[in-house]
Amino acid sequence: MFLDLTEEQKLIQDTARDFAKAELEPVAAALDQSDDRSPLLANLKKLSELGFMGLNVRGEYGGSEAGVISFSLAITEIARACASTAVTLSVSNMVAEVIQAVGSEEQRKAYIPKICSGEYPAGGFALTETCAGSDPAGMCTQAVDDGDCWVLNGTKIFITSAPYAGVFVVWAVTDKTAPKGKGISCFLVEGGTPGLVIGKEEKKMGQHASATNEVIFDSCRIPKSALMGKLNDGFRIAAGELAGGRIGIGSLGLGVGLAAIDYATRYVTERVQFGQKISNFQAIQWMIADTYTELEAARLLLMSAAYRKEAGKTFAKEASMAKMYATEAGNQACYKAIQMLGGYGYTRDFPVERYARDARITAIYEGTNEIQRMIISREILRNLS
Amino acid sequence: MKLLVCIKQVPDLESRFKPNAEGVWYNETDLAWRMNEYDEYAVEQAVQLREKLGEGTELTVLSIGSDRVVEAIKKALAMGADNAAHIQDPAAASKDPWQIASIIATYAKDKAFDIIFTGMQSQDRGSAQVGVTVAEQLGIACTTTIVGFEYDSGNIRAKRELEGGIKGIVKMKTPALVTCQMGLNVPRYPTLPNIMKAKKKEIAVIPVADLLKEEALATTASFHPPAKKGGGIVLEGDVGVLVDQLIAILKDKTAVLR
Repeated sequence: MFLDLTEEQKLIQDTARDFAKAELEPVAAALDQSDDRSPLLANLKKLSELGFMGLNVRGEYGGSEAGVISFSLAITEIARACASTAVTLSVSNMVAEVIQAVGSEEQRKAYIPKICSGEYPAGGFALTETCAGSDPAGMCTQAVDDGDCWVLNGTKIFITSAPYAGVFVVWAVTDKTAPKGKGISCFLVEGGTPGLVIGKEEKKMGQHASATNEVIFDSCRIPKSALMGKLNDGFRIAAGELAGGRIGIGSLGLGVGLAAIDYATRYVTERVQFGQKISNFQAIQWMIADTYTELEAARLLLMSAAYRKEAGKTFAKEASMAKMYATEAGNQACYKAIQMLGGYGYTRDFPVERYARDARITAIYEGTNEIQRMIISREILRNLS
Repeated sequence: MKLLVCIKQVPDLESRFKPNAEGVWYNETDLAWRMNEYDEYAVEQAVQLREKLGEGTELTVLSIGSDRVVEAIKKALAMGADNAAHIQDPAAASKDPWQIASIIATYAKDKAFDIIFTGMQSQDRGSAQVGVTVAEQLGIACTTTIVGFEYDSGNIRAKRELEGGIKGIVKMKTPALVTCQMGLNVPRYPTLPNIMKAKKKEIAVIPVADLLKEEALATTASFHPPAKKGGGIVLEGDVGVLVDQLIAILKDKTAVLR
């Protein structure tokens, strides 16, 4: 067994780290506090020029062909500096990969190069609805065949990057009479299509620079060619592609957790109480030891899931394990980091407060960690029945 | 036209350095490695010239060291070098600047490079001798610590930065060697597609024994951390007395008060 990265993977990790340190870290705190997203959009453009928007996408569509391990490494390094940038990147990469996996050749050529090149600032993934969160098969949005086009009606919520996404992957019910989960189809809808309305933006606890909006389809007419994959086969697509996205979100949780504990560990080697550096106290040492161990375990789970996907093996269970474990370890790391900084950790003068708010959602989106546990146990129990 | 850029892989300078067992260099285990910063300026300048001159120009990147230096070589290839020479030498750190320069000069001697780019010095050894010694051994023109570079049909116009911010302009005819200083350019990030495509570029592996003909002229006798300084002087007592004591010390030990 070989646990080291290839030279290419190391170079991609270094490039992501250098870029994040130079371009993202200096603006991350301001992005968290301001409504001005222009620094985020400018950095997304630069990241697309470097090839971070299509990490696991083929060169013919403008991708980098860098693989899934590189994708995980890159998201972690970006998230160490700015979680909002990292989630935009993770979702956009996932959208490009969905189109590559299920789209027709025309659809791939029409949309993936625009995501990879940065012509589209981001891609959107429109699955969740008010009545269909952890249970997306219960969705209400409908697509009705109107002869020469599909007509979409319904409301999606919690859609990342909605105000600036160039294209959305949208799921809608196409056969109301089919059993649950069997009558859903998948469509590609361009941003700005008449009838596609960007609704209210959520006021979130963290990841402020990444927009999260309602997306309303009000008799939105899209061409027949907008159907992606087979009719009524959309739910299977969603389930399959979300597994890849989970590697991204787990990597993001790991990155935020590392940022927090790295900061706190430097802090305790300088902070003096009782006449000595507080890193001399065992209580602090154990927090350091526990947190780095948990994050290292998370990293290895992520690398294992990414390796399996890259090698063409099944990876749904491993991706869920990695997502669940890494995001919980990331959250723990942030809370331990706040504790190590004491009262300062709770203030906005120090970055760990932001890290903790940014990390919280990683245990919820891209499938709550409760759903991840359902997937993991289902995969294990399936082999016994 | 043929261009050569010489790079060194050095430890991340935020590393904690410990002397090795022989006490003549640092212990190399568990360090993070990257391309020497000054060499990044050299690579960027060479790539910019390579792009300007277009087809018919070949840019080779050279590095001496163990297999780990291939990562730095691949970065230079991803930034835009055409091919590479990896001079394989697990004991490169034990060689003095004269030997390192002679290895490069022996490699370059019969290859008719028009311009050779190097960093002005390495961040770890910092001798600043290798570039100029290569030029001397090859018998070609050389200028150092450049912060500006122009090339036009066989003529180089280099801007140098001297002490106190004074600038100098140096003109040379090729073949020539320049050593590159901070401020020359902003090195590009290698793009991810170029990192992946660099896998297909040729890296010639040459054992150091094929190129090394010289004995060391200088040997490092010792490598050690600086001696720990004393804890300073702590003055205690009445403020009036302290002030007198402090003034006496400042007069006695420093030039602050006379």
